[in-house]
Amino acid sequence: MPIIVNLDVMMAKRKISAGDLAERVDITPANLSILKNNKAKAVRFSTLEAICRELDCQPGDILEFVKDEFK
Amino acid sequence: MNIKWTSENSLRLSRILTFAVLVLAVVILFLIPIITQWYDDVSGKEPIMPVLTVCAYIADVIVIAALWELNRLLTNISKQELFTERNTRCVRIISWCCFGLAAVFAVLSFWRLLALLVAVIAAFVGLILRVVKNMLATATELREENDYTI
Repeated sequence: MPIIVNLDVMMAKRKISAGDLAERVDITPANLSILKNNKAKAVRFSTLEAICRELDCQPGDILEFVKDEFK
Repeated sequence: MNIKWTSENSLRLSRILTFAVLVLAVVILFLIPIITQWYDDVSGKEPIMPVLTVCAYIADVIVIAALWELNRLLTNISKQELFTERNTRCVRIISWCCFGLAAVFAVLSFWRLLALLVAVIAAFVGLILRVVKNMLATATELREENDYTI
């Protein structure tokens, strides 16, 4: 998928663990793992809002568009 | 004895019936020569035992394959696995089995016209199952999308 989730980079910058972030954002660690591993098919605005709030960042810091070379 | 009609009991009944018919189909597989001979004896029409025997063997194998898949489908449903690619595959195989049966009976209709009716019914059931398969595939996609929406 050309949209890459750079959540782990932002988490490392903010020095926050996956368990902590999951708790603060109010999602399960399993769902956070899906998001981190780029397996998610969609992100709700409410989830994105909570992540940006907790990590003090912009959506663009977490989501990145990478051109698909094979298309 | 008071048996409550719950979805669990309904599923259990479906599994028992499927298994019983599967056993019956396997037993019939060994009795085909006797059955076709008996049919030729009582039909009073021109004997077609060789054709009938071949068609019966092919049809019975197809039926066993379809029942096997049906049993697998029911097992998955009992495990609460509904909209999965595996189930879609099961329904697709059963649908193709129906089309296979339709082809066998269409061939048999050259000798016995009534077989054409069975062929049409089998093809129609196959067609319905194909639509169900398409629906199941779409439902699986929607479920996956929902599961992977965070």
